[in-house]
Amino acid sequence: MNILVSFLLAILSYSLINNVVLVRFYGICSFVGVGNKIKSAFFMGLAVSFVIILATLICYPIYYYVLVPAGIGFLDTLTYILVIASLVQVVGLFIKKYSPSLYRSLGIYLPLITTNCAVLGVVSENTASNLDFLSSLANGIGTSLGFLIVITLFAAIRVRLESASTPKAFKGIPIALIVASIMAMAFMGLGGLGN
Amino acid sequence: MIYLSQGGYLAIGVSLIAIFAIIFVVSFVLYKKTPVPKGCEDLLANKAKCEGCSKADCPYEKSITKEK
Repeated sequence: MNILVSFLLAILSYSLINNVVLVRFYGICSFVGVGNKIKSAFFMGLAVSFVIILATLICYPIYYYVLVPAGIGFLDTLTYILVIASLVQVVGLFIKKYSPSLYRSLGIYLPLITTNCAVLGVVSENTASNLDFLSSLANGIGTSLGFLIVITLFAAIRVRLESASTPKAFKGIPIALIVASIMAMAFMGLGGLGN
Repeated sequence: MIYLSQGGYLAIGVSLIAIFAIIFVVSFVLYKKTPVPKGCEDLLANKAKCEGCSKADCPYEKSITKEK
């Protein structure tokens, strides 16, 4: 029971308190680039979540059961990049072949996932912090959930901002960055949940 | 639990990295060779093709109008 509670608390912490975008500053590129349409942002968030969780599940055993015993732990980043790139490519291939509707929604964003530093960041963080398997998984799930929530919320705010009377100098990216900073401050308030 | 010498682990590690590299290259080639599904040919706004279009619900209509 205690393990389950700690697992859920870790997910909550990684998704809201230590949010991947607003606190750890990973994945800013897709956050700003894709976060202007709710549907695109949501699907992008889902795709990134899927890759983060799968990469976490694959990279943990590779690092601890192959790279470390072989004494080549320093090749971790190279291995993770290869794992993530292959994963995204294989997922993209299946989507292109078997799910045209999903391809229509995700097609142009798939290559963006490979270069999304949130994926590599989570996997590297897991091994650098010597997290055990459950904590790594909680980090993976929490981070992806946090990314999904934040990118969708940000897109929803930006859609409303498009019809708002924003001063000319602030239109577009400047107001988006101001919104992101206000969101970051709002998420900092959730830090109290840990006490 | 199987115990291997460090050399054994090294061989597994290096072959694993090679396998992932091969998977990436093969899936990349297959991805490029797989035909784009019907209706997904133009996922990005194309200025030349979109110019004569007046579809109001097109998601790219806004960006094209903005460019004009």
